Amino acid sequence: MPIGYYFAISAIMFCTGLVGVLVRRNVLVLFMCVELMLNAVNLTLAAAARMWGGADGQVFVFFVIVVAAAEVVVGLALIVNVFFRRGTLDLDAPQLLKW
Amino acid sequence: MLLLAQSAAESAGTSATAETVLFWIFAVVAVGAGIAVVTMRNIVHAAMMLVVNLLSIAGLYLGLQSGFLSIVQVIVYAGAIMVLFLFVIMLLGVDRDDLLTETSVLRTSGAVLLGAVLAAGLLFVLGTSSLTTASACGDAATANDGTQLTCVGLDGALADEPQGSVGFLADSLFRDYGFPFEASALLLVVATLGALVLGRRKDPALDEQGTPSAPVPSDDDLDALVASQVELAQQRGLQPEGTVPVTRLPEDAADEPPPGIITGDATHVLDDAEGREVGDPAPPRAGKDPAAAGRTLADEADEAPLADGTSDGTVNGPENGPDDASGQDEEDR
Repeated sequence: MPIGYYFAISAIMFCTGLVGVLVRRNVLVLFMCVELMLNAVNLTLAAAARMWGGADGQVFVFFVIVVAAAEVVVGLALIVNVFFRRGTLDLDAPQLLKW
Repeated sequence: MLLLAQSAAESAGTSATAETVLFWIFAVVAVGAGIAVVTMRNIVHAAMMLVVNLLSIAGLYLGLQSGFLSIVQVIVYAGAIMVLFLFVIMLLGVDRDDLLTETSVLRTSGAVLLGAVLAAGLLFVLGTSSLTTASACGDAATANDGTQLTCVGLDGALADEPQGSVGFLADSLFRDYGFPFEASALLLVVATLGALVLGRRKDPALDEQGTPSAPVPSDDDLDALVASQVELAQQRGLQPEGTVPVTRLPEDAADEPPPGIITGDATHVLDDAEGREVGDPAPPRAGKDPAAAGRTLADEADEAPLADGTSDGTVNGPENGPDDASGQDEEDR
């Protein structure tokens, strides 16, 4: 299997996640789309690791998973706090800084 | 499905067709599930599609001879992270209004156009490179003449490792990336502490005006709730055992709460409504409870543990806190 096909799948998934981040207004769905983009990059890294025959790409995937786990923990705690204060999950609702 | 993929991946190092079949199955599923995450209107369905997407990527890792990453992907992503996601979705309510429908058409089309342009650019670059033509791993394409990229593959590297991809990854992780590994441990500790700090709340939630979003119910509200509950129960002919008809006693009769009953004030009731002191078995308003004074202490001791959460649809007197009562009220309507 040519390694470029993995890159192509990864590119499509990354763009899908990007469109989701731009379109969806529910902050939880936005978070899931960010996870989608992270996984697309992870797939690229793993494919590159196989292409070069080294373990560095896999180590990067490992670290990305660790950072994503930490990000999800803190991010979801923030979302819960914001929801209890604001009562909404709409990203466009907080407009305190809007002129 | 993953077991089947595992067996297919074991032969993927030697058989190119097994890897090809594995790739196309999981690639189609991954892309389809990824698009479904963005377009699903129900947020729980979107989360489920994300699970499918993550599992498909785990299958793709198997095709890439990265078995350890595949297992980590299933355990950490599809297991832990998605459980956390679903927990928060359920906590915050799944029946919220769907925000996708309110998005403007201009914004949606612009975002889709941007994504399509980016994807087209990326795919164009990939298509014009030699990555998609001459970089098939394991097809004796390792002769690198310097003009095109070739895939080295992991066959040689994994052949030296008795532990397979685990040892392969661990060698690099603990030898070359020892400090980042320690730093990631620190990161996890900091994230855990941050979640703890963010998760605790001392005061009731505030809305935008800075007032408590769950106002403290007054005595009249509570009495009205109690009266409505009893009236509903009587309309349905429900008269549970151990419940006395509610009569408003003089205030001095209810001055002394029975021993063993925690006399709560309105703040206590609010805490109960916030769900933070659910384990508190005592009926919070014993002092103002009109039925409490009309009963013996044994009745109190029997019914007090039933007062929180375990009460079902039947009305068992005004034992419940205002939260329970209002919940039943909504159910009855």
